[in-house]
Amino acid sequence: MFDQFIILTKCHLQGILRDRVLYGVLGVSVFMILMIPSMSSFSMRQVQELSITLSLSVISGTLLVTTLLLGASSVWRDIERRYLHSILTLPISRATFLVSKFCSILLFLTLSTMVLGMGCAVAIKLASSSYPSDIPIHWGNILLTIGGDLFKYMLLTAFSLLLSSLSTSFYLPFFGTLVIYFCGSASQEVYEYVTGEFGSGMSLMAISAVKGAYYLLPNFAAFDFHVHAVYGLPVSLTGLSLTMLYTLVYTGILLLLAVVNFERRELP
Amino acid sequence: MNKRLFFGVLLVIYVLLIIPFVNLQKNRPIEVKLGYLPHAQVLKVISGEHRSSVAGMLVMRVLFYFGSILQKFQDNVIVSPEFLNMYRTIRSIVALDPYNMDSYYFAQSVFTWDLGRVQEVNALLEQGAKYRTWDPYIPFYLGFNYSYFLKDYTKAAEYMQSAAELSGNPLYAQLAARYFYESEQAALGLAFLETMINNARDKTVRRNYELRRDALLATLAIERARDAYRERYGAMPIDLEQLLNFGLLSAAPDDPYGGSFYLDERGRVRTTSELIQHESMSDENGNAYGD
Repeated sequence: MFDQFIILTKCHLQGILRDRVLYGVLGVSVFMILMIPSMSSFSMRQVQELSITLSLSVISGTLLVTTLLLGASSVWRDIERRYLHSILTLPISRATFLVSKFCSILLFLTLSTMVLGMGCAVAIKLASSSYPSDIPIHWGNILLTIGGDLFKYMLLTAFSLLLSSLSTSFYLPFFGTLVIYFCGSASQEVYEYVTGEFGSGMSLMAISAVKGAYYLLPNFAAFDFHVHAVYGLPVSLTGLSLTMLYTLVYTGILLLLAVVNFERRELP
Repeated sequence: MNKRLFFGVLLVIYVLLIIPFVNLQKNRPIEVKLGYLPHAQVLKVISGEHRSSVAGMLVMRVLFYFGSILQKFQDNVIVSPEFLNMYRTIRSIVALDPYNMDSYYFAQSVFTWDLGRVQEVNALLEQGAKYRTWDPYIPFYLGFNYSYFLKDYTKAAEYMQSAAELSGNPLYAQLAARYFYESEQAALGLAFLETMINNARDKTVRRNYELRRDALLATLAIERARDAYRERYGAMPIDLEQLLNFGLLSAAPDDPYGGSFYLDERGRVRTTSELIQHESMSDENGNAYGD
């Protein structure tokens, strides 16, 4: 069974690597990375800081687009193209198929992160060597932030797979995942806003609804170490471990739901 | 054939269109260039993890806008800048990324000297000092603002001492010592401006400081001549002509802001330009800076 899983993951990964759209996305990202040193030079007092900020944004933005494209077009397309039907004639469970799909996307995201990360490291080094900052470059924090982003998009991939296993078209998984991304990115801010001074003017029902959504939706603010990377702020190891555990548990729940749903699904 | 003809026609129209189109974009009203910004809280929620990048982009937008105003100003085209909108943008930037040094630096260089909005800038800087705990520049700016503009020497000494401790720079310690001597205010201003000019990498900001320094040097020259006249003749001079006639001034100093210097009824050095780029203290709805 494990061998089947490995073979399937490899097959899916090869399929992803053949996708020219993704090369287009990565090409645009590389171009943006090349622009970082000149863009950062517009800053008056923090060229290095701006180069780190922009680099992290490019990586995160690229991972978001990749996650959306790969996650949203995964299961339903395999059904539509009848690729899944031929796979399932082999002694392979639907769960193995789905989890291998998830792992192949995750592997591609990791590979892309590594390539972009290296490009960004060069861009940051170039920008900072032209106008050195008072703050040293905290490579550890930058690595941690990129890792945090990867974890976040792992969770988002699980969401997109869940929606993709439910859907018969591109739209629900694509826009559903996008909505989850925006809600998850804003949930902490909105929660703090509503439970703070502003919330005193709101009805109890509305506050409860916001709180309910806050506990249910993924909290992407927990993965945001961008400020720590840019300004070299200390990172709490306890918070980091808790966030990793939270991601693993949340992703596990989503994948399990996706598998259960996929196993029950009637194929046309 | 038809397709080629159609393509050719479209290409010709495009070539004819591109020059007026570019001119239209180039001559957009300056207010449009700065644009509208949603409330900081909304912006914070929308931008999510990219808030530092958004803050960086907004700083650039303000800087380019101010740069275009300064360019027009140097070309003797008087444009009333949208200072209120600029200030609001800076406040939004600080709300998005309270560590963003560019916003504090820009606020210090533009809103204090040019507009006299020292209290508002100090509020921004004091917020920044809570985040940028390692940075000597913020207490340095605060120390200077409290002494030079607000004459609060106790607070000034406190902040300048903090700047000296954080940086180990003896200049800050020297400046702190000078705060107790009100008579050296102009010299103190010059010392500050020279420091800022030496550290300024951005041309727009440097030019802004240089204009201010030149104005201060001119003011200082007239003040010295006026004091020499008073010491010699026991009375205040009536106008600059007297200082020129008595050889205390070799030539009437030029006001880099385009005005002419004169002495007011109390003998203070004034200029018709008021050493200021004409500001709007509140918007058309009457909303002031602190709102």
